[in-house]
Amino acid sequence: MLSYEIAVIGGGPAGLCAAISAAAAGASVALIEKDRHLGGQLVKQTHMFFGSKAQFASTRGIDIADILSRQCEELKNITVLLGATVLGYYDDQVLTIEQDNKVQRVKADCLVVATGASEKVLPFPNNDLPGIYGAGAVQTLMNVYGVKPADRVLMVGAGNIGLIVSYQLLQAHVKVAGIIEAAKHIGGYLVHASKIRRAGVPIMTGYTIKKAYGERKVEGAIVWQLDDRWQPIPGTELDIPVDAVCLAVGLTPMGELLWQAGCQMIYVPQLGGHVPFRKATLETTVPGIYVAGDVAGVEEASSAMVEGRLAGLAAARRLGYHNADWENKYQDALQQLMALRSGPVGEKICSGLKCVVV
Amino acid sequence: MANNMADAVIIGGGVHGCATAYYLAKAGCKRVVLLEKGYLASGGTGRSGAGIRHQFGTEINIRLSSAAVRMMENLEQELEYPRGISLMQKGYLIIAYTETQMEQFAKNVQLQREIDPENLTEILTTEEINRKLPFLNVEGVLGGTFNRRDGHANPFHVVQAFAEAAKRLGVDIRTFTEVVDIRTDQGKVTAVVTDKGEVIQTPVVVNCAGPHGAVVSKMAGVDIPLYPQRHQVAVTEPLEMFLPCMVLDFTHGTWFKQTPDGSLILGVGDPEHEVKEINQRCTWEFMKDVAEKMVFHIPRLKDVVVVRQWAGLYDMTPDSQAILGATPVEGFYLDVGWSGHGFQLGPIVGKIMAELISGQKPCIDVSCMSLERFEKGELIPEPNCV
Ligand SMILES: Cc1cc2nc3c(=O)[nH]c(=O)nc-3n(C[C@H](O)[C@H](O)[C@H](O)COP(=O)(O)OP(=O)(O)OC[C@H]3O[C@@H](n4cnc5c(N)ncnc54)[C@H](O)[C@@H]3O)c2cc1C
Ligand SMILES: Cc1cc2nc3c(=O)[nH]c(=O)nc-3n(C[C@H](O)[C@H](O)[C@H](O)COP(=O)(O)OP(=O)(O)OC[C@H]3O[C@@H](n4cnc5c(N)ncnc54)[C@H](O)[C@@H]3O)c2cc1C
Repeated sequence: MLSYEIAVIGGGPAGLCAAISAAAAGASVALIEKDRHLGGQLVKQTHMFFGSKAQFASTRGIDIADILSRQCEELKNITVLLGATVLGYYDDQVLTIEQDNKVQRVKADCLVVATGASEKVLPFPNNDLPGIYGAGAVQTLMNVYGVKPADRVLMVGAGNIGLIVSYQLLQAHVKVAGIIEAAKHIGGYLVHASKIRRAGVPIMTGYTIKKAYGERKVEGAIVWQLDDRWQPIPGTELDIPVDAVCLAVGLTPMGELLWQAGCQMIYVPQLGGHVPFRKATLETTVPGIYVAGDVAGVEEASSAMVEGRLAGLAAARRLGYHNADWENKYQDALQQLMALRSGPVGEKICSGLKCVVV
Repeated sequence: MANNMADAVIIGGGVHGCATAYYLAKAGCKRVVLLEKGYLASGGTGRSGAGIRHQFGTEINIRLSSAAVRMMENLEQELEYPRGISLMQKGYLIIAYTETQMEQFAKNVQLQREIDPENLTEILTTEEINRKLPFLNVEGVLGGTFNRRDGHANPFHVVQAFAEAAKRLGVDIRTFTEVVDIRTDQGKVTAVVTDKGEVIQTPVVVNCAGPHGAVVSKMAGVDIPLYPQRHQVAVTEPLEMFLPCMVLDFTHGTWFKQTPDGSLILGVGDPEHEVKEINQRCTWEFMKDVAEKMVFHIPRLKDVVVVRQWAGLYDMTPDSQAILGATPVEGFYLDVGWSGHGFQLGPIVGKIMAELISGQKPCIDVSCMSLERFEKGELIPEPNCV
């Protein structure tokens, strides 16, 4: 059985930064990613990022993935396992990993869990028809594999993901029949929304999907209006013929490994679902298990990267890697996180974090 | 605050607790309260293989199981349970790898037929097994026994069926409520205390706490020889139905079945290595073991994906038999120690417990399962269990 000081699970922005900062501090690290490439959500993000210079603002997501992957490769004490899915974590600190249809075991003194989030779905009749997608899945098809997912799409959800993916659909010459949003207001940034409206796509707030229909695949969807108490109003149904429905109704942390490890979890709506209690160092209630990124609370790539650095530093310190530089780096990461969360968007996150930081 | 006077309090929301509650209420007991520290079926019941079989080797288990199978067959109607208990009655095969096992199996079948003339258990040769289950590796198999009236069910639905029927009869079921103390006065039960600080006055307490049975008994001042023993299970992705019957093998400690939705449920009992404490955590060693053993039994499983694993506890006694009935503390009853075969017997034992508590003559004499047997040295070891 191979053994490492730190195993980082998930090679998205959080995991990459965790591996880099822990390895730079001196620890031996395994970075385990189930995809065949590093980058997580970043690799499908062809748009430029917002935020500050320190988190690669104005750089495209996919380019950030490249930059971080290269930093990773340069560090000799990082072993990257690709196409390797962590299946389980057991009490004797053993991870089981599936790679190339074989199961292997890896022992690790510390873990950084950075598995990200998964897309939520909505319950409605026929939501299992072929042609019902998560928005992230559509984005992956288009931007990673170059596959046109449909000809005419209904987008459900006007948060940032719904807006960005709609725009990218337009860029791929897919018609967007409309974006419906249950809330009375558009959740995403208005710059994105106006760009889409200018392209002629209607954004209908106060609407939800009633059902999808079609013989063997989606042929259309019925949407209807919601009243002030979120109850559908009969008679307001609209029939929208489309060959795909995209659900962009939020993400939820993928904390299965944390549950299995016995970390104490709590449901926090502001953070997207069940998340672990953690210290400021991002250590969970199980000593030696750290979290970073969307799995700790659905947020953004920028904060995922900083959390990754923080968790990597903290895990390294736990193992005794603690030099003069450590404190500076640690304080710097804490400050950056605070800055990222200081705006109005950060309010929700901060109120969620109040429930989980112990 | 809920009504805190009861005629009987049942501790444990597994199949035994829920069945006992139902039959007690049905027998006319007015205020029955059932307390469960987690959710219903969160103990051994929900973690079991839920196999149902006539094929036992002691008189008491043969009598109980014959009655239990008949009850399972009619359970949906009796309990008016619309969702069904997923009873798959396509048989249960026990395979033998040694001459000693074959001899024991022959004795078991003879005893089963003597006690129950309707018993359908038959001895199969290796060729007959091969014909029945062509995908099963019969290398080293000497033969086995098979009963086509046996099978398996869904333990969650069985518990839910009893619980809902019990509620309709007025039973007060409180989940996420743990019993932390049992009060007695002059050798009689008087009350139970919950973790919420409630004190429920009652003259009757039934211990259906499964693997926690010894801890709960101790609260009433009764020591019983019972300890937990972990067993683990793996579940595969759903496959097209190919395994109609349940299969059990004492040599490798393995058992497996396919649920109606297609998933295979795969178990290995490993008493030598498994922990004997309240610990329901899973191990990777089990995953390795179960994979190797199951691919040995059914080579075509080698490409099948395991989707999850779980662990559960057997409640073990020195003879792997239950402890049933009254105790030296008046009003304190035991229904624990079911080892790895207590799911199927839940319905019949619930009925018997209700009969015992309400002072009737039980439909099956279970006096051989009393607590005193350990003092008297009258053990009744069951040869046919994992
Ligand atoms: C359309 C869209 C637009 C966005 N735009 C922005 C933006 O402009 N600015 C911004 O800051 N953020 C943006 N985000 C959010 C950002 O992408 C995420 O918050 C960020 O990627 C989270 O990083 P992470 O490392 O926690 O998770 P992920 O990027 O999801 O990475 C998790 C990784 O873990 C791997 N993994 C999971 N489970 C296992 C396992 N068991 N074994 C092995 N590997 C596993 C996954 O394959 C994945 O690669 C956007 C998101 C989307 C969907
Ligand atoms: C892996 C495995 C496979 C099995 N396979 C089979 C099989 O194929 N066929 C078969 O017939 N049997 C099988 N069994 C055995 C069967 O599961 C048990 O014998 C049976 O479920 C016992 O039921 P019960 O109601 O007595 O106990 P349980 O189901 O364990 O219920 C006891 C309940 O009491 C609760 N409790 C404990 N302490 C307290 C307290 N202080 N206060 C309140 N509540 C408390 C627990 O939470 C639990 O829910 C198997 C068991 C296991 C573990």
